[in-house]
Amino acid sequence: MASRVKSIGLRAGSIVVLLLLWWAASEAMNDSQVLPGPLAVARTIVADFKTPGPEGESAYFDVGITLARIFITFSASMLAGIGIGLAMGLNRLCERSLLVLIPLMLTMPTILMVFLAIMWFGYSEAGGLMAVMAVVTPFVAVNMYEGTKAMDKSLTDMAVTFKAPRTLLLRKVYLPQLMPYIFSAFRYAFGETWKIVALAETFGLKFGIGYMFFFWFEQFNITQTLAWIMMFVVLMLVLEHGVFARLESRAFAWRSASLARGRA
Amino acid sequence: MHGKLPVKKTKRRALPDSISRMLPGALTLAAGLVVWKVISLFFFPVFFPGPELLLKRMIEIYGNPASYVVFGETLARIFEGFVISMLIGTALGLLMGLKRSIEIFFDSWIMVLLTFPAICWAFLSVLWFGLSQTAPIFTIVLIVFPYVAMNIWAGTKAVEKDLVTMGRVYKADRSLMLRKVLIPQLMPYIFSSLRISLSLSWKIALVAEAFGVGSGVGQQLIYWFQDTRVDMMLAWGVSFMIVMVLIDLLVFRTWARRTFAWRPQFAT
Amino acid sequence: MSTQQARTVQRVKMAPVIPGEPMRQRAMASSAITIDKLTKRFPAPGSGDEFVVLHDISLTVDEGKFVSIVGPSGCGKSTLLNVIAGIESYDGGSVTIHPKAGRTGAEPRVAYVFQSPRLLNWLTVENNIHFVLEAQNVPRPKWRELVAKNLEMVGLAGQERNYPLNLSGGMQQRVAIARALAIEPDILLMDEPFSHLDAITARKMRFDLMEILARAKPTILFVTHDLSEAVFLSDNIYMMSTKPAQIFKSVAIDIPRPRKSDDLALFDLEKTLVRDFFSVVEARG
Repeated sequence: MASRVKSIGLRAGSIVVLLLLWWAASEAMNDSQVLPGPLAVARTIVADFKTPGPEGESAYFDVGITLARIFITFSASMLAGIGIGLAMGLNRLCERSLLVLIPLMLTMPTILMVFLAIMWFGYSEAGGLMAVMAVVTPFVAVNMYEGTKAMDKSLTDMAVTFKAPRTLLLRKVYLPQLMPYIFSAFRYAFGETWKIVALAETFGLKFGIGYMFFFWFEQFNITQTLAWIMMFVVLMLVLEHGVFARLESRAFAWRSASLARGRA
Repeated sequence: MHGKLPVKKTKRRALPDSISRMLPGALTLAAGLVVWKVISLFFFPVFFPGPELLLKRMIEIYGNPASYVVFGETLARIFEGFVISMLIGTALGLLMGLKRSIEIFFDSWIMVLLTFPAICWAFLSVLWFGLSQTAPIFTIVLIVFPYVAMNIWAGTKAVEKDLVTMGRVYKADRSLMLRKVLIPQLMPYIFSSLRISLSLSWKIALVAEAFGVGSGVGQQLIYWFQDTRVDMMLAWGVSFMIVMVLIDLLVFRTWARRTFAWRPQFAT
Repeated sequence: MSTQQARTVQRVKMAPVIPGEPMRQRAMASSAITIDKLTKRFPAPGSGDEFVVLHDISLTVDEGKFVSIVGPSGCGKSTLLNVIAGIESYDGGSVTIHPKAGRTGAEPRVAYVFQSPRLLNWLTVENNIHFVLEAQNVPRPKWRELVAKNLEMVGLAGQERNYPLNLSGGMQQRVAIARALAIEPDILLMDEPFSHLDAITARKMRFDLMEILARAKPTILFVTHDLSEAVFLSDNIYMMSTKPAQIFKSVAIDIPRPRKSDDLALFDLEKTLVRDFFSVVEARG
């Protein structure tokens, strides 16, 4: 018990220290053009949500747009990646044809992908979608592919001797074994997705957090710039650790029981 | 009376195994090239270059000594950022693995750092350090070192206590333990950290250069992007990619083979 | 660290070495290990209580003898060995290790063979042995000879350049034994060294151990849950019951070596001991 309180205390303490360091640095700089303090930034964030910004919309709109972009592109990439990965894992022909492409796609730098997507698909949502998919789908596919390779063949054999139909096999034998891989791909893919969306919004797409961040940067309003960066960071922290952590523990309930017992 | 069990007959292979393994991949690449060429016919070459145009541009780049100055600038930044990230990240990761309180304290800092997009640091570092060398290196370090820290931290947690006990029983001193027991166990993690850091560092260097410094490969990318010259942009991008892949192969593959020779099934 | 599980822990916990009393070096010529009323407590987490792991353990191991401690798994036998090896502290009584006759003034040399080989898989067989030789400050010129001699003794001559993962479990354990003997220890501690091997390999290892004993004549304190193994190998057996661990009987085995596994005298002795053993152990629960 005591140790749990201590760890929560330490965690909270570390965030406080971080904020204090920020505050101290900003006081030292004494120039809001270089490093505004956390309080100024916090006030700006609140104001951004209350009053309409330069495009006539409050922060809710931009945040909403960014979130929408993230979820759509992320879902598309995940689905495509899972599909391709599974196909590669289960079908030798797919595996051999596509395996060559993956290292290529994974080495391509993100910024090149974003530039290409925007050049070819214009400053449009399609461009953003393509950029995200080009980077995220191969990664998810590889993860799934490795997951299928790591599956316990004896379980598959067991199901086949019981003449399980393919859909049942997929749902009850494959998917649970692949869940850890799906999950780790999930978290990484999510992280990559919104970083790419941020990049795309910064110099390509209209509206959204990245767009606002760049707008204010060009206006030399550093307080606003930092405000939008912080909005991004906090939003992602909440999503990654609030939402995903919960989902993960529920999805892996069947494992945690044995883990707890094994923890001697 | 007895139902016939469907028994799969082993198919007889028409082609030898090695070819049937490589053929689909080769075909995919070939098909990709053909599709590429066909699409490129519909567009202006500078907007959608065909494979031969891209190759031509790349050869021009490789042939021009000035290109190597550009490569060199970017490589220097990558290297510096990468080294600093490894040093800070390894130190932090070790500390976190060894002391629980340090682990909990810095855990949240790392989480926060991992959520920062590279572009934000790119802009902030230009703001704070101007168009100098420090800006891209700062960006690289802030993005990469958390990954290293997490990796090394996981490595320290994975050290086998049994072996440390064995060492203690035989009264091995600290230096011997470090050299023969601890560091060899950390090697896979150090190794993968090195690979990941390098891979991340160069991609981030490009972002940082594109929005900051005014020189280097990243700057070439954004220059040609703004000039709507996909052929040049791709040429620079791919040429540099090849350089980095070569470095990865040369340095890491050969090193891995030697360091991990003791494993019975050595597979990367 | 939980209470009951502290005793079932097969792996040794790394506690700081804070001996209850300094290990004295008495001039008792024939004893190699003297343990007198040794007690050890573990603090139970949460509550302020402690529970007793080892209670008033007293035993003696004479030089050159093979002494076994037999008890059910998890009764604290490993903890006892750890205390003797100097990597765990104790709370009462004394542990004294006397160096072999002829070696004076130095720290006693303790070698340990664990249940699992605990080899450094990234080092060759010979480098694994070099590791402990370096740890024990054995001069380098002697290393080559020590490695060759001890590998030959365990039947692994020629395996110097091989890596542990290329060896079978039994062979790895032999390397661990060679490693232990290479430092020319004053005492050799063995914690159920054959319990992770299959029955056939374990049997062979016991025979080989007998032959090694005949040649090297180390002083051995051997821990096992297998009475027949103990009867086959030992000069003396101490029987231990659990919760807390205490010695409740000690038996000398006078059957001359080399012993045969089908020797009827051994079998009779074992039967008697088994009866005594289980009656006590099952009574205590």
